Amino acid sequence: MFRIRFHGRGGQGMKTASRILGTAFFKTGYEVQDAPRYGAERRGAPIFAYVRADKSAINERGIISHPDLVVIADDTLVGMPAAGVTQGIDAHTLLLINSHDSASTWQQRLNTEANVLTLSAGEDVADRATLPFISSRCAAAAAALTGVITREIFIEALCEELDHLRQDIIDQNRDIALSEFDDMTVNAGLAKQGGLATASDYVKPDWIALPFESAQISNLAIHAGVTSVKVRTGLWRTMRPVINYPNCSGCAWICSTYCPDGAIKVRTDGYPEIDYEHCKGCLVCVAQCPPHAIESIPEHIARDQEVGETT
Amino acid sequence: MIKQSPVHFHRMKDMPSTHLLGTGTPMCAGCGGLETLHTMYDILGRKTVFVNAAGCMTLLSVYPFTPFHGGWLYTSMASAPAGAQGVRDAVDILLQKQKLPAEEDVEVVVVTGDGAAYGMGMSATSGAMDRKLDFIYLCYDNEGYGNTGQQYSAATPHAALTSTSKGSHGYPGYKKDLFSIWAAHNPAYVATVIAAEPLDLAKKIEKLQTMTGPRMLISLAPCPTGWDYEPELSVEIGRLAVQTGVWPLKEYVEGEVRHTKVPKQRKPVDDYLKLQGRFKHLFEPHCDEQAIAEIQARVDSYWDKNAAK
Amino acid sequence: MTRKLLTGNSAAAWGARLACVDYIPAFPITPQTEIIEDLAGWIDRGEMDARLVTLESEHSMITAAGSAASSGVRAFTATSSQGLLYAMEMIYAVAGWRTPFVMVNVSRGLASPITLESDHNDIMAARDSGFLQIHCATCQEIADGILLAYRLAEHPQVRIPAIVNFDGFYLSFTREPVDLARAAKARAFVGEYDPENLQFRGNSPLSQAMAVLGGGPYSYFRYEAHLAVQQALSVYDEIADEFEDIFGRRYDMIDCYHMDDAEYVFVMLGSFSTKAREAVDSLRAAGWKAGLLRPRLFRPLPQQRIRQLLRGRRAVGVIDQNISMGMGGVLHSEFATALYGLEDAPLLGSYIGGLGGRDISQQEFFAIADELKHAYENGESAPPRLLYTRNELTEMRKLQAIAQAEHAEIHRS
Repeated sequence: MFRIRFHGRGGQGMKTASRILGTAFFKTGYEVQDAPRYGAERRGAPIFAYVRADKSAINERGIISHPDLVVIADDTLVGMPAAGVTQGIDAHTLLLINSHDSASTWQQRLNTEANVLTLSAGEDVADRATLPFISSRCAAAAAALTGVITREIFIEALCEELDHLRQDIIDQNRDIALSEFDDMTVNAGLAKQGGLATASDYVKPDWIALPFESAQISNLAIHAGVTSVKVRTGLWRTMRPVINYPNCSGCAWICSTYCPDGAIKVRTDGYPEIDYEHCKGCLVCVAQCPPHAIESIPEHIARDQEVGETT
Repeated sequence: MIKQSPVHFHRMKDMPSTHLLGTGTPMCAGCGGLETLHTMYDILGRKTVFVNAAGCMTLLSVYPFTPFHGGWLYTSMASAPAGAQGVRDAVDILLQKQKLPAEEDVEVVVVTGDGAAYGMGMSATSGAMDRKLDFIYLCYDNEGYGNTGQQYSAATPHAALTSTSKGSHGYPGYKKDLFSIWAAHNPAYVATVIAAEPLDLAKKIEKLQTMTGPRMLISLAPCPTGWDYEPELSVEIGRLAVQTGVWPLKEYVEGEVRHTKVPKQRKPVDDYLKLQGRFKHLFEPHCDEQAIAEIQARVDSYWDKNAAK
Repeated sequence: MTRKLLTGNSAAAWGARLACVDYIPAFPITPQTEIIEDLAGWIDRGEMDARLVTLESEHSMITAAGSAASSGVRAFTATSSQGLLYAMEMIYAVAGWRTPFVMVNVSRGLASPITLESDHNDIMAARDSGFLQIHCATCQEIADGILLAYRLAEHPQVRIPAIVNFDGFYLSFTREPVDLARAAKARAFVGEYDPENLQFRGNSPLSQAMAVLGGGPYSYFRYEAHLAVQQALSVYDEIADEFEDIFGRRYDMIDCYHMDDAEYVFVMLGSFSTKAREAVDSLRAAGWKAGLLRPRLFRPLPQQRIRQLLRGRRAVGVIDQNISMGMGGVLHSEFATALYGLEDAPLLGSYIGGLGGRDISQQEFFAIADELKHAYENGESAPPRLLYTRNELTEMRKLQAIAQAEHAEIHRS
């Protein structure tokens, strides 16, 4: 069975990628499951979708815990534990990362036995949430890596899944996906099918008898204030607002009041400060700042700069 | 609840510079509803118990995370005002029986989306107003069932595309006049607000804090996800809703409706509509002048009727 | 103590009054309404220090009861039938809040068809909610059951709401002699309401009843609620002992009548069980070793005690005043589960009776005993039976003839 996971951010079309690949497998004669991980999908927030394909009926269900292929649409997700990109990967797994960095760099960085390939990152865009055609490219690369899906069937599947779009957009997606498919064909077959769990040799589940706990402990309640700050929603951000303090008039209350998340506080010196742990990168502050003292820069570049500064 | 005296919000400088609502919530980037809530919370203060109905903001608190210093209670889609009734009554009983010191009193605030406020929760809201419940109700109105993917609700404006009105003319119905429905109950206070006009919002919250009884707020909540626009435009679109006259800012007190911000020269509705993907079909591939004219006419008619108020 | 004639509804109102409830969110529905009318009257006359608020629906009523209990007051409420179903979303939800309060349900058959008369399908719909369930057979049990229910629900090891259930008309509107506890003794028995760490206050944080992400936390909270309901089994006897010491009346979690040597046993819930009690007397007079087993506590169901009590009996007739479409009597299923695999388990017979207030005659109990005996002798249970006579079908045919007159004419022409 092929078990393939697509990781991306809300807005990058990972559900579409999984559906294109699912349909391509189906048209090739496979039994298929494809699904997005359903939940509170937010633009920029890490999400994933998955595909299973097998020649016989698929009984396995739910999240793929041991993937054969993991496709990562946005390399900024890799270092993010909440994204779960590397969950369940081992020497059998093939990682495909959309990145400007080389496969060997990633191999070292991740210190993994998994095989790593990179998607020849296309034109760079400032806002990674708007990577062009990324869902079609990811689906194309994945299809080629399986070595069982033909070019023709893949394109048929892609057009079927995108048929709600305008023709010129479908055409652009097709052309770019085809070139991705062709580029990746040299690696055809690198994504290998995994087997089933064996009943003869397995790790026993560590079951326990759930102990009774009084309602003082077991009630559905939080007896603490403002614990939400432990959630780092700054990881959703693909564009970073940066205050250019010399230009800041110190009106302070404009950006701080309009920030939906309350992620801009006013310092004692009267100037605003952005909480990057939690800023989601909506850029309302950039749009509203009267003297235009806040600019937006791509998050991946800002992070690279930070790394540069600290090393 | 002991009523506070007004502090007076005159300028942006008067707005709170620290924020009570915790960061790290799962609301979408650029959420216009969250913008209203955090401003409101700053003014109301910590001793607030929010009672919530099913909607986007239900996810504000997901175990074990909460952005609140005080109380939060999720109830159901239909019964948040009844949850507020129980909390208010219980606290009053305890105060009356002197089992609770006055400084432990709370302000009870219902927070629901338009799905609950305009529809399923209307009966419970009406009941709470009938009973003159001393509470605040904030409806963050993003004009559709946002948490399930923006299907149309009774708050959806005419012609908007939603995931259940995808046809070439969008939603055929018209936005329900919840302000008038609420005002017909003669509660202590009803107001429309929007986060893009923070001073107007702050003044209204300050004003309702001096009152007792049902105090009802409808906040238009620009929604990048449901209305299909870039999140950075949230405030701009909100401001245009006011400047075009699409979202009149007003309040109802003791039988009188008063407009709190009357746009001197109303901008054409196009300015508001064209920034939003949900109205894109009115402009592309062909300009649907008839539909836009109809929307404009309804806005004009509203202001013609209400010019003096 | 004062003994007086009270309807079941009055007894319920007295139970709430004696339990010193602070808060009563209410909504009228037949046959429960008199309970809230009595309470409202006492409050209006200053005889009871509580607040009653009529909500605009049962759904809101349960929400208010749960949120008030979460804010530190002792809450009481009551409903019936369609009202219970209308509230059902919140019945399940507030059980998960783990805030104790007591609700009376006056059992009435569910639509469709509409009826005002009694059966147990309404309360069975709340079976899996997390509420404790105490079922009453007399007006005395109603008043006392409410006091017991508060103690059980508020016990630190349990802390989950409770339903006290009794039958519409057969108890709700029927006067019987009731010994009312003295107010001071009742107050001492129930004690002060302690909301523990669940209460909304100006100066302390509390977020409650939120979402969880994933099946792991969800399983934890749901199973802990189950374990808390199970805990009621271990604390029940202690509370019942204390009640007996103070008030002189004994309420075991299972009411047994002539169970010592019974070979044939009726199993029932609620007020119709007194009919079975009388049938047991008559059968014993005719030489039968008959008995009656009636769970007072239905959630949690005392499965171990049921096994102990029924092992070695010849046959058991479970009479259900409810029906699970496509399966049969709910109580029968539950007893079959409790007895499964038990060595020397009795044969089980399933009888559906008393739907929509339909009476169960003494002769029907005797006939059930005969069928049980027959089953024992053949080593095989009879198929499930609806208690329904030829005469009832004849009467039904007359109604149908009128209802279908035009239909029949069309067929004729």
